[in-house]
Amino acid sequence: MSTPYYIPETNVPLPPKGAEVITTACDYCIVACGYKVYRWPVAGGHDGGPKAEQNAFDADFPVEALGPWVAPNQHNIVLHKGEPNHVVIIPDKDTKFVNTDGDSSLRGGCIAQKCYNPQTPTRDRLKSPMMRIYGILQPVPWDFALDIAAAVGNYVRTKHGANAYGVKTYSYQYIENTYAITKYALRHVNTANFTFHDTPSDVSSTPGFRDAGFDNFAPAYEDWMNAETLLICGTDPYETKTILWTQWIMKGIQNGQKCIMMNPRRTAGVAYAEKNGGLWLDVNLGTDLLVVNAIARVIAENGWQDADWIKNWVNNKWGSSSGFGQGTRNTPWQWRTTWGKFQTKGYDDWKKWLLAQDEFKPEAAAKIAGIDVAKIYKAAEWMAKPKGGKRPKTSIMIEKGFYWSNNTGNTMAISALAIIVGAGGRPGQVVGRAGGHQRGGQRGGKYPRNKSPMKVPGRRRRALDTDTWTMSGHTRFAHVIGTTWIQSMCGSQQLSKRFEELVVANPHQIRSYDKQDIIDTLKRRADSGGMVVINQDIYLVDPIGNRYADIIFPAATWGEETFMRANGERRLRLYNKFYDPPGEAKPDWWIIAELAKRMGFDGFDWQNSNDVAEESARFSRGSRKDFNMIKVAARREGKTLHQKLGEFGTNGIQGPVFMQDDGTLIGTNRLHDTTRVLPETGPAAGNVFNKKLTHFNSQTGRCNIEKSPWSLFSDYWEWMKPKGNELWCTSGRTNERWQSGFDDRRRPYIVQRWPDNYVEMHPDDAKQRGIESGDMLMVYSDRVPNLKETTLGVEGSDYSFSGQMKAGNVELTRAAVTGVAMVTRHIKKGIIFMDFLHTSQPANALEGRVVDWISGNYNYKMGVAKVKKIGTSPYKNSFRSMSFAPRDIT
Amino acid sequence: MTKHLQKSSKSLPSKPLPSKKDHPAGKCLMSRRQMLFTSGVATATVMVAVSSSPEAAKVPAMVATYPRKLIAKLSQLKTDKPIGFEYPDEGAFAQSMVVKLGVAAGGGIGPKDDVVAFNYFCTHQGGDLDGTYKGDTKSLGACPLHLSTYDLTRHGILISGQAYQSLPQVLLELDGDDIYAVGVFGLIFGRYDNLQG
Repeated sequence: MSTPYYIPETNVPLPPKGAEVITTACDYCIVACGYKVYRWPVAGGHDGGPKAEQNAFDADFPVEALGPWVAPNQHNIVLHKGEPNHVVIIPDKDTKFVNTDGDSSLRGGCIAQKCYNPQTPTRDRLKSPMMRIYGILQPVPWDFALDIAAAVGNYVRTKHGANAYGVKTYSYQYIENTYAITKYALRHVNTANFTFHDTPSDVSSTPGFRDAGFDNFAPAYEDWMNAETLLICGTDPYETKTILWTQWIMKGIQNGQKCIMMNPRRTAGVAYAEKNGGLWLDVNLGTDLLVVNAIARVIAENGWQDADWIKNWVNNKWGSSSGFGQGTRNTPWQWRTTWGKFQTKGYDDWKKWLLAQDEFKPEAAAKIAGIDVAKIYKAAEWMAKPKGGKRPKTSIMIEKGFYWSNNTGNTMAISALAIIVGAGGRPGQVVGRAGGHQRGGQRGGKYPRNKSPMKVPGRRRRALDTDTWTMSGHTRFAHVIGTTWIQSMCGSQQLSKRFEELVVANPHQIRSYDKQDIIDTLKRRADSGGMVVINQDIYLVDPIGNRYADIIFPAATWGEETFMRANGERRLRLYNKFYDPPGEAKPDWWIIAELAKRMGFDGFDWQNSNDVAEESARFSRGSRKDFNMIKVAARREGKTLHQKLGEFGTNGIQGPVFMQDDGTLIGTNRLHDTTRVLPETGPAAGNVFNKKLTHFNSQTGRCNIEKSPWSLFSDYWEWMKPKGNELWCTSGRTNERWQSGFDDRRRPYIVQRWPDNYVEMHPDDAKQRGIESGDMLMVYSDRVPNLKETTLGVEGSDYSFSGQMKAGNVELTRAAVTGVAMVTRHIKKGIIFMDFLHTSQPANALEGRVVDWISGNYNYKMGVAKVKKIGTSPYKNSFRSMSFAPRDIT
Repeated sequence: MTKHLQKSSKSLPSKPLPSKKDHPAGKCLMSRRQMLFTSGVATATVMVAVSSSPEAAKVPAMVATYPRKLIAKLSQLKTDKPIGFEYPDEGAFAQSMVVKLGVAAGGGIGPKDDVVAFNYFCTHQGGDLDGTYKGDTKSLGACPLHLSTYDLTRHGILISGQAYQSLPQVLLELDGDDIYAVGVFGLIFGRYDNLQG
């Protein structure tokens, strides 16, 4: 960990001529900019000089603006094959895609600081397996830790059933690792008690997209630039996927794009858009659906819808009802319990429904959303009104502020809006997610849905909610991989309390030196109703590792192993290893393989990460990042998959990847590309052509236009909305801090900028409460709703917030989180905003642990809290750390 | 290190001296880091030591290596009206500004501790921040290239944006009415060493 005091450097070593150059991409956000690592030995002191002939950049120093400058934060010293080496890691100035100007964000720009170096705050990387013996995490050998974990894990799944073995894992941290983890958890352990880092159950993040037929990541980055009108909902890409903004959207705006941003905060991207003729839809939390449908209503009433597109690409009543084998029942909206709530007979039927809902009248919607109604009319006009007989090219981008506020409703509503403006299947006319993490998931097994006991009456089984399952004491063995679990979920403080009861307060703790004795103790823990916790991570995380884990496995990560991954336009790149992992740390695929082999599972005899990648390739077929043909090409050419992908360098190749007749590979610019012409002869050799290439992911290949009733959500919204002195409380990422801050808390400069969690608050709200910037605040609530047990009910109507309240299945709990006041003009009045995953001050504690009734996701971005001053932070009256200046300076 | 820095006690030419080959920059870096790590208390106070406060005495080695250059008169400064100057030399990216903020600031001099000076080039990709000063927020930016903004009351810390570090702060000394630039905190964009280009 770092202190918030940073002393800047005033010089930096330059890579010499002949320094090794290794390509990679950034580890952090969805954009995955290409980077070059320059590596040269410390021994000998052969640093580069300032003249072009003296350094690896062939550049004279000082360099020009945009040139290959090296900031001190871009240099580090690492061990490579046991020897100290300098590394300078800067964005690739030669790359042709993604970060085309060699641009980078603050996060990726300083990624050299991620590397383990015992002289920096990275010194606390996990370096050996550990076991909690007599209450203290003590280093133990790999074999000792693995033998015990495997013995206890095997015992739990055979004695208590597969669903007693819970796996909570990241979804994104490289294809090789996610393949190994899902092969182990889903195919072999075969547990339904499985989910990813950002959701309590393994379900679709965007149910509305799923049902409409939109892939989350269909668009190409150039589409976001080429749109003439762009609606961005629930994110400011400048803050969280910077290069998507600076290299693509910002250039679009400079070319006259009208950028509409729906978001309660006016951060730098919003301010830039407004300054350049854009529009800010400053909505209240959870009211997005109303505004989206009001815009749609204006378009429909004026007849501005894209009639040709609708005629050709939207299902009519026959298309809507066509199914496969099981008739109309085989469509997701019907699986999701609310038959008839979403389905339409096509555009006219949808329009009839839309116009019949009074809450979608622009004046009504604007009132609840707290915005100027004129903005609704303006947005509708920009998005759909033809000018001189020509329609504007309109695209729509969404992200978590939007789809984690009213998960099902918002995604259904935005899909319908996209459809009527003709977005989704043409260049510059697209719809998709902006993205959070990179796309590194590759399933090695199928989720065993039929083993989930969670079922909605008369309908398909729903993926198991791992949080309520664990709260109910059914998880006896929790295998946690690269996630905080607790702070990442809603109602964190109740989850934490339950972990405490099941793990720490259980009498069966390791107090022995004998392996068998330890195994028996942990078995008794599980048998007694307690829970055993094992944790794979790169740092010791509090509390999941620090307080709860019985066994810790140290993981090797970015730069310490060679991996593959895709970005937000499905671009696959090789992330090369360039230095030694700390101590005995091992990549997650290796840890999983060692556990699996000890548990008697076959198919885990991989020698290296390429072996895992090659095995996983065939399971990618037909997916949005299908890379199977890269393996086929590699085999033909006598190369490995990693070698072949590595040849594409930082440019990479966009999935799905196909092989042409001459054996060369070609990527896919965008999915659902209705302008794309595929070979008439169909796919040759191993190529897989499927519907999503030129059509939509629906039962007919055309879009489903769906209803999005406010009533499915309005009871929760009404109950939740601030009462008395409460304020809306939401959270999200801030540009400078990535994720839980696992790396950023170890970067002195970032800790200087953001030493503690912060509470953004409008000046009027602050004044009312006697709060000034820099005050230390208590943010608290005594009505955080928590589901006691899994959803209870018989009738469809029981599956609502009011239904569960009535059934007595919602418990109101308390939460308290501290933070530093940041009184600022850039947030909407009535709303406070915090960093979403500051592990020591977890904002999610204040958000209701109640799943979206239709999808099973949490609506993380919608809570309420009271705020009071409890003192003064050290940052109020000193100048060294934090800044209280607003984020909307243009 | 000392040898290098002594060379720079006068204004340097924009291009570095050819003798660099014998004195690789890496060595400077390592030895300076060593100094910081071994000088505990001084490290923590080094950033406030720019005014005439008693801590100034604790960091003479770092300040003394830069030229002492007269850049403005205190009595001529008007609140929120920046004045440009070049420092630590007349080379590339030396353009800097001194401004009276009207509110106390980290490293500020004058009776109100409100006079500060900064280099004018964004530490992200070298965008020119001249003309972007905002009196209401006491900030520089947004950078025309990628929109970074900097808080001048807090040692030039990044407010929002993509820069890899704070804006380099020019350290000031007040002698009567004369304001002298005496050092720079943070590496100036484009350079590999503040004093050598």
